[in-house]
Amino acid sequence: MKRLAIKMHEAWLSTLMAGFMSSGVNKQRLFDFSDILFRHFTWIEREMVLAGEAYNYDRDTIPIKVVKLSVILHNIIERLNQIDLQLMSVSPDLSHRITHDLKYITGAMALLDDEDITAFNTQRKLDNLELSDEATDALTLFLFEESYKEYELIMIYNYLKAHSDDAYINRIFQILVDESFFHLKSFGDMMAKMGILGVPRIVNKELYQIDDIKGFFLAGIDEELAAKEECRKLSEAVGANSPELAKFFDFINNQENYHIALMKDALAHWEKETNV
Amino acid sequence: MTVDAQLIEHMMEPKNYGTLEDANSEGIGKNPENGEKVAIYLKVLQEDGEDVIDDIRFQAIGCSTTIVAGSMITEEAKGLSFTGAVNLIAATMSILDKVPPEDAACSEMVALALRASIETYIKRKTDSDFPAITYQISNNCAPKEEGEEV
Repeated sequence: MKRLAIKMHEAWLSTLMAGFMSSGVNKQRLFDFSDILFRHFTWIEREMVLAGEAYNYDRDTIPIKVVKLSVILHNIIERLNQIDLQLMSVSPDLSHRITHDLKYITGAMALLDDEDITAFNTQRKLDNLELSDEATDALTLFLFEESYKEYELIMIYNYLKAHSDDAYINRIFQILVDESFFHLKSFGDMMAKMGILGVPRIVNKELYQIDDIKGFFLAGIDEELAAKEECRKLSEAVGANSPELAKFFDFINNQENYHIALMKDALAHWEKETNV
Repeated sequence: MTVDAQLIEHMMEPKNYGTLEDANSEGIGKNPENGEKVAIYLKVLQEDGEDVIDDIRFQAIGCSTTIVAGSMITEEAKGLSFTGAVNLIAATMSILDKVPPEDAACSEMVALALRASIETYIKRKTDSDFPAITYQISNNCAPKEEGEEV
């Protein structure tokens, strides 16, 4: 099951990256498919947790540099066909569900129109904005740092959720996963437009295989505050050239306030439940 | 950090990131102030009586600068003899005072992880259970405030 989870993790990320690369009508379909593959991944993970199987989120590197969308779609279809052959390790109900989903997804992917890909041209131009060199550099560094951070948060919250049966805290983890997905998709889209798309690096297991939940929440609140500061600085850096882009980063900055409130709520609940 | 084509390339596709299944040594460089760390995994082979880094990987809990430093230094270290790798570490350490503090801390962390992994390998020649060596950095990651003494 562990190998299957790794392969599903890689297929999910690869499909998400293909969604970023696409600039046409395929984009939303690829995002939808990647969301389905992520859910498959979490369901396989849940079966591993219930079976007491040790696992982590290590995976292989995922090559994504292509000049045509059809190349990565072909690669994803191959990945999904390989997964289909490994489904015997999960329960019959889950295997049945995944098999049917994969059959549809691979068939639909094979019919998607091809596109030229510019997500790796390193031009670092965003839409028609005229950003100064300094603002472009600040945006570039922010996107690399924060796209990884959002992926890291998705994996951490997901792991904690998979190992918790506390409905109150799991509701909060799910909101935070959903929010991080929105941020990751926003940043990934910008990276693709700027020609600097990259797969977020593998998350070190020390970050999610944690015992000190209270410490995790406290550090998480600090990290959210740091993220707010990064958004504020970036908004300032791009504001002179693009008030619209500055508004976007102010919008993200404000979203972090609710994340902080949720983490404080989760921390209070945790302390009450565990008397820690 | 100056953003140039080489840096973007390393950020888009960090070289040698991950773990190494058949590693025969590992070492850690750590920033005690913020918990950031770098682990380097080595596969060392004997060639003409010399220890040579046949393959190398790194993993980090850290920022993009650490990833870029890890990508660049491991790429340089791959294929080097231990003598060559020690020279690479010395060269890296010698330029740390010429780069911004946050970049210096990241590069030092990678260089020390490489030194730790080499020394762990040497220790394991006589004690195969020798634990991975960890070194702590001396550079502070935080940029100095204006007017603060350097």
